[in-house]
Amino acid sequence: MIPIIEITNRALNGKPILEKDYDMRVFSPRVRELVKEYGIHYDPAALVPSDDGLADSIFKAAIDLICDVGVYCKDTERIIAFEEKEVRNELKTSFNHAMLGEGMEQRTLLPRKPESKERPWIFSGAGGVTVSNENIFLRLVESYARKIPIANAITTPCLLSVDGINIRAKSPLEIEGSIRTVVLGREALRRAGRPGLPIMNAIGTAESAIALASGLHPDFGLRKTDGYMIAELAELKTDFDLLNRAALLQSLNVPIAGIYGPIYGGFAGGAEGTAITSTAFHIQGILTYGASWTLCFPIHIKYTSSSSLELIWVASAYSQAVSRNTNVPALYYNYTAAGPCTEMVLQEFAAEFIAAVSSGASIETGGVAKGKYFDYLTPIEPMFASEVAYASAGLKRTDANEIVKKIIPKFEDRIPDPPKGKRFQECCDLKTGEPSKECYDIYNKVKKEVIDLGIEFQY
Amino acid sequence: MSKEIEVLKQAVIDGDADAVIDSAKKALDAGINPIEILENGISRGAQVVGDQFEKLEIFLTELMLSGEAMMAGLNVVLPHLKTEDVPQKGKVVVGTVRGDVHEIGKNILKSLLVANGFEVSDLGVDVPTSKFVEAAEKIHADIIALSALMTSTLGGQKDVIDYLEQTGNRNKYIIMVGGGPTNQGWADEIGADGFAETAPEAARLAIELIEKRRN
Repeated sequence: MIPIIEITNRALNGKPILEKDYDMRVFSPRVRELVKEYGIHYDPAALVPSDDGLADSIFKAAIDLICDVGVYCKDTERIIAFEEKEVRNELKTSFNHAMLGEGMEQRTLLPRKPESKERPWIFSGAGGVTVSNENIFLRLVESYARKIPIANAITTPCLLSVDGINIRAKSPLEIEGSIRTVVLGREALRRAGRPGLPIMNAIGTAESAIALASGLHPDFGLRKTDGYMIAELAELKTDFDLLNRAALLQSLNVPIAGIYGPIYGGFAGGAEGTAITSTAFHIQGILTYGASWTLCFPIHIKYTSSSSLELIWVASAYSQAVSRNTNVPALYYNYTAAGPCTEMVLQEFAAEFIAAVSSGASIETGGVAKGKYFDYLTPIEPMFASEVAYASAGLKRTDANEIVKKIIPKFEDRIPDPPKGKRFQECCDLKTGEPSKECYDIYNKVKKEVIDLGIEFQY
Repeated sequence: MSKEIEVLKQAVIDGDADAVIDSAKKALDAGINPIEILENGISRGAQVVGDQFEKLEIFLTELMLSGEAMMAGLNVVLPHLKTEDVPQKGKVVVGTVRGDVHEIGKNILKSLLVANGFEVSDLGVDVPTSKFVEAAEKIHADIIALSALMTSTLGGQKDVIDYLEQTGNRNKYIIMVGGGPTNQGWADEIGADGFAETAPEAARLAIELIEKRRN
């Protein structure tokens, strides 16, 4: 691992450049060149490509990219540079697993390979989407743990407010909200009878390093066996607030994830550039934060969701590139266009997770309705998504491709104007968190569609 | 359309600032009316780029390079125009609110507003409430456009509106809000004048709101 002090030193003394010049005159043109140099082509007929050569070319292009343009530090307006030999050495010696959970729930998150029969890591829950009150938070997390027995870890919601006052970033409200997120998450898992389950988006409500640090005190219930995420900024950037987290978390000896949302249509360009950038982000997490797992959530610049054809190809191509060429477990997270209690949201999950899991990724169940609206959550969506991901282990990429191509026409036309779905209060019992019959009917209908396409669910 | 204007338009589309400056100068030297250079060369080119971006035929880098090229062209042509002759849609202050460092959406909006003929003052990210008001007063803005990408920073949009209300200046400006967690319900709740889901929609909305106010 490159010491965080060394990363900071490079951020302080690297080549100075204005951010917009890095974006438009360094990063973006180099991505375009690499797409051409390596002959990388997006093919809508092969949304789950079976070409190992393509995956390896994307990986080589990503190594070139990070060595040629570096990682930009927004605070110092300088480039954190890496040599190719150093990058390759770091990839050979990186963490190749993460121990998560306690007692009966303790498991090891391991890397997968394309078409692997090893079950994906199931990181299930709210995907960090916001809820309006603590009761909904508790009911949801308890329901995730109860209804998703295959869940290896939980992703909690974020809190919108504290005692009726909306949380403000970098204020005492954020500190208190962050602490409550941890306390409530642990309590909900205890109530569900799964107190050892790890919370892998530890302190989802914490946006700032100080809020993260506040919630880390052991009195509040976080453990070293929970998961700790540090964002990487679009595209190939970081800042001191994020490096501060790495400094703190590395000293605490906890499993760190680099998490990143490359933007399709942004500085990375089209699908090919977004796949290269996603792969470079995976490497960035290992180099700059000492990540032992990573999480990728590509976003469409226009729709702010991830279920369009191009991004399903990105999910697959990226997952193959990193799982074939590195030993750091890679998770894929999605943003559905549609909201809860709709057929479309389940179809989006199915298409994206079949593509990602058959390509070597594990999963975090994503933000529904683009993660945009508070309380637009039910236990049904992560339950279905987890079951699909679990059942997709061992799928041949060619088979996955055919299945995905049959699912996409069911929702593709509605991506620009998707159904918003229903709030938790409209389709779940407020006292128990139990979803309505309507939710279950939709779940059963779409599950049957997916079974008919060849996915064999475990239960 | 004259050859000079056609070359200028294409240079804007290509995002080639040097070529824009060169062709704008040549057009002026050829005695072409500066208004025509502006409307048929620079603005038409910018419109093409805006349309291409909306269809994702081009991506963000190309959009922003064209925005820069357009600004370079304006700097050549505007000194040749009387202030009252300059066709302008309006003046907009854009920025991401306090506590939030996300800027890509805001940058897209800025480029599209420029492409549509607005004068834009970009305050960047993590902008304190008073800075929005100060900048709006300074340039006599028509619109203040507030971006936020996190639930915990949405309040920064409300802060600006409250500040304007409490200082008796609310009616001076059209307030638009946007960014990941914003929606029409939130815009209504805090008393914003407009919300748009995407940057292209926001650019169209800005035109609509300005026209509505002027009428």
